[in-house]
Amino acid sequence: MAADPFPIRASGLGKRYGGVTALEGLTLEVGQGEAFGFLGPNGAGKTTTIRLLLGLLRPSTGEAVVLGKRVSRSVSWRGEVGYLPGDMSFWPRLTGQETLDFLCALSGRAALARAGLLKRLDLGASELARPVRTYSDGMKQKLGIVQALQCTPKLVLLDEPTKGLDPLMQQAFYEIVTDMRRHGTTVFLSSHVISEVERVCDRVAMLRAGRLVTVGTVVSLRQAERRRVIADFTAPVDAAALAHFGEIAASGERHVELLVAQDQLPALVARLGMLPLSDLLVERPTLEDAFLEKYR
Amino acid sequence: MNSVRVLLRHHVRLHRMPLVPLALGLAAFEWIMTVVAGEPSVSRFLTSALNAAPPQFLALLNQELVSGISAQGIVGVGYAHPFALLMMAVIAVRVPSAALAGEIGRRTMDLMAARPVLRVAHVTAALAAVLAGLAILAVAGYTGTLVGLVVRPVEGVSALRYAPVAVQLWLLFACWGAIGIAVSAFCREAGQAIAWTSGLMAGSYVLDYAARVWPTLAPLRPFSLFRYYEPQRVVSAGLALHDLMVPTAVGAAAILLAFVVFARRDL
Repeated sequence: MAADPFPIRASGLGKRYGGVTALEGLTLEVGQGEAFGFLGPNGAGKTTTIRLLLGLLRPSTGEAVVLGKRVSRSVSWRGEVGYLPGDMSFWPRLTGQETLDFLCALSGRAALARAGLLKRLDLGASELARPVRTYSDGMKQKLGIVQALQCTPKLVLLDEPTKGLDPLMQQAFYEIVTDMRRHGTTVFLSSHVISEVERVCDRVAMLRAGRLVTVGTVVSLRQAERRRVIADFTAPVDAAALAHFGEIAASGERHVELLVAQDQLPALVARLGMLPLSDLLVERPTLEDAFLEKYR
Repeated sequence: MNSVRVLLRHHVRLHRMPLVPLALGLAAFEWIMTVVAGEPSVSRFLTSALNAAPPQFLALLNQELVSGISAQGIVGVGYAHPFALLMMAVIAVRVPSAALAGEIGRRTMDLMAARPVLRVAHVTAALAAVLAGLAILAVAGYTGTLVGLVVRPVEGVSALRYAPVAVQLWLLFACWGAIGIAVSAFCREAGQAIAWTSGLMAGSYVLDYAARVWPTLAPLRPFSLFRYYEPQRVVSAGLALHDLMVPTAVGAAAILLAFVVFARRDL
């Protein structure tokens, strides 16, 4: 049987706790080998979505299909899934080595990637021999990453993966994700760190109050955002004369900042050329701009 | 099956440390009872003390042979004594509470449940762990009796008579272990599960005690699981079928409930 081209499919997925709706009618597909980012403020339903996809929660509505299997009907597919919880905790008395061995044995697969991950994340044998209660938050996070990826999963669900990691380790993590993707692993990444999602992911979904706000490629979401155009002049100009190109964000006698749609840029630049322009800066919008725009 | 084995090893690793002192403590306690029973002066003193004790106190020891307490009866007291019951209760409450509710409360259940493990395997492994832990304690207790009576034989007391008592002790707490697993399957924190299971156990113990002391409460005694654990009667008359059947049936029902609840709940 051919592999499902969509390792994650959710249709009308919802979760209610009494009168509180944590997630409502989530429908999305994540393609094979794709890195999919999941953005949203606290309480938006990101972790609930991941826990529904793993079958840790029972949906109130809808259904999820992961790696071609209905989540509610079987568990065998979980052997090919790696999961890094956002709110992670280990058994304090177990050593790092015991923790990895135990979780690997539960997966029922060989830990083929463990040695490489430990090396890249700088977790040595001496650290692994210590009880987890002696670990710093950063070390626990590294152990969490290793336990999620050690059995070479086909799909990884990562909830705030770089929480507590220093910049060097964050860099090592991004390289690990890049390598995994090169081998066809599908990555579902939930994060507050927008730059991280922008860097790692192809497509992004944004959630607000349990509802999907938007889904699209990082590029398309950025392009949909207005550019910030900053113009300085050698002589006073009338900023209001430029207002029909976009929104004036700030203005002074010899200075104007405008938020302009991409298709208005050529006309604006032509108009500015007729004015006593001394400097011009056009800022490309970031994913963060798109995010803030959606949640404003 | 493999995942049950892996989870069972995990529970053993988490609970082996308290199990060792509990087993040694119970073995030492039962051994001491054989020493007491074999020491004529101590035995005489204990016999007269027990004969003079109010029935309420004797009921606490499940000691109904008020007149003519024998050395055999003194060794039997070791199996009904609150100390022995408490040793067993620690495992019957601790292991089930930690296995399900404890893992959920600590958020480590997410790491385990995100793997290809059926929910039924979590309940089965918890049951296997508590049954094994209680078996170790019961065997340790009986070993204390056996060693005591072999090293220093007491006239008219055979160690073989206490083997069914140890089995019944195991069965009673195995039933409480199963109830503990059912409670744990409902709870989100180990503390909640410990409180509920301990409360039920204490309530059942008090009901049995009260029903033996106050005749008006006697009709309620069959509703206590401790009613089906009478070491002195087992020593003198052997195991009764209903003393085996009732804890087995209650334990089986509790485990069935745990399977259903844990399979359907949010983690």
